[in-house]
Amino acid sequence: MANIAEQRIRREFKEVVKSDEVAACNIRVELVNDTYTHLRGEIMGPPDTPYEGGRFQLEIKIPETYPFNPPLVKFLTKIWHPNISSVTGAICLDILKDQWAAAMTLRTVLLSLQALLAAAEPDDPQDAVVAQQYKEHYEIFRRTALHWTSTFANGPKKDKDYDDKVTSLINMGFEEHKARVALSTNQWDLTRAAEYCLS
Amino acid sequence: MSAETTSQNNNSPSSEDNNTAEEAAGTYECNICLETANDAVVSMCGHLFCWPCLHQWLETRRSRQTCPVCKAGISKDKVIPIYGRGNPNPQDPREKLPPRPPGQRSEPEGTGAFPNFGFGGDGGFQFSFGIGAFPFGIFASTFNFNDGRPAAPAPGSPQEAEEQFLSKVFLWVGIIFIFWLLIA
Repeated sequence: MANIAEQRIRREFKEVVKSDEVAACNIRVELVNDTYTHLRGEIMGPPDTPYEGGRFQLEIKIPETYPFNPPLVKFLTKIWHPNISSVTGAICLDILKDQWAAAMTLRTVLLSLQALLAAAEPDDPQDAVVAQQYKEHYEIFRRTALHWTSTFANGPKKDKDYDDKVTSLINMGFEEHKARVALSTNQWDLTRAAEYCLS
Repeated sequence: MSAETTSQNNNSPSSEDNNTAEEAAGTYECNICLETANDAVVSMCGHLFCWPCLHQWLETRRSRQTCPVCKAGISKDKVIPIYGRGNPNPQDPREKLPPRPPGQRSEPEGTGAFPNFGFGGDGGFQFSFGIGAFPFGIFASTFNFNDGRPAAPAPGSPQEAEEQFLSKVFLWVGIIFIFWLLIA
């Protein structure tokens, strides 16, 4: 890796570890290998959102041209959000693309992602299905996001109704994640979700 | 964040002595590499960078050049180099690559605008005469790299007398030629 990228990540790593946000358990980074090219981030779901209390893992890859080009970040934890792919975890956020600036750091990126969870941008979606649900059935979106948070991110709040629906599809012989995606995509209508699984 | 911490400390003088060295160094960190800036330049919006770092950023974003900190418009011509005192190995930073843009120094008012205007300060007067055709004249003036005319010889030497003589001959030939053109 280019020298400047590694030196900067070393410094930023220290900065994040010492920051107030880490003390408050809001963000965290850890090393995956010794060369500082690959890191693991974690952000806490922001309060007053369906993601509250969840812990979301992020994969952070540092390009050789860092900090002149943005780090490559995606969600490892599955999440239901208009600007994050529910399949791949890819993120649609301007500062990770053309609005990147060389003075941004791991800390600001993680805080921006936390802000993205609190303020979705459904008109510039990464996941069209989620974005449509957000715009047309906001309450269903909110409960679905809460359900995904409790399932994948150790969120504290359960939605018994949705859990039961997943269980009933599993009992019909469908694989758990497939059942969850089918229900989430079909506004938690059991019949349509079953048809979706079969198609 | 470090800037905020520093300003807070400045407001309360009692805590100023703590970690002053560390914080003073932090105040002059390049916003790109986060090290103490070397070949420092500052943008019009007041943000400090190493020139090599900023140059690379501007090269990366040629089409949309913005300040890496505040995204204000920025360009090579609009950054100011900072020259500190006490550099143990003074070296013109422009000799390094990539070159740092020069400081903008304007002349004070009232000095003579063209001190060497006229026939040169050394008193030597030369008149040369030639006949040229258009395209060759361009070659002569375009490819005249080191201003091929030799310095005027020392006054009083035989060479000088010879050149003065030649110069006068050419002067007369020129005058005769122009006279002939007027009559013809």
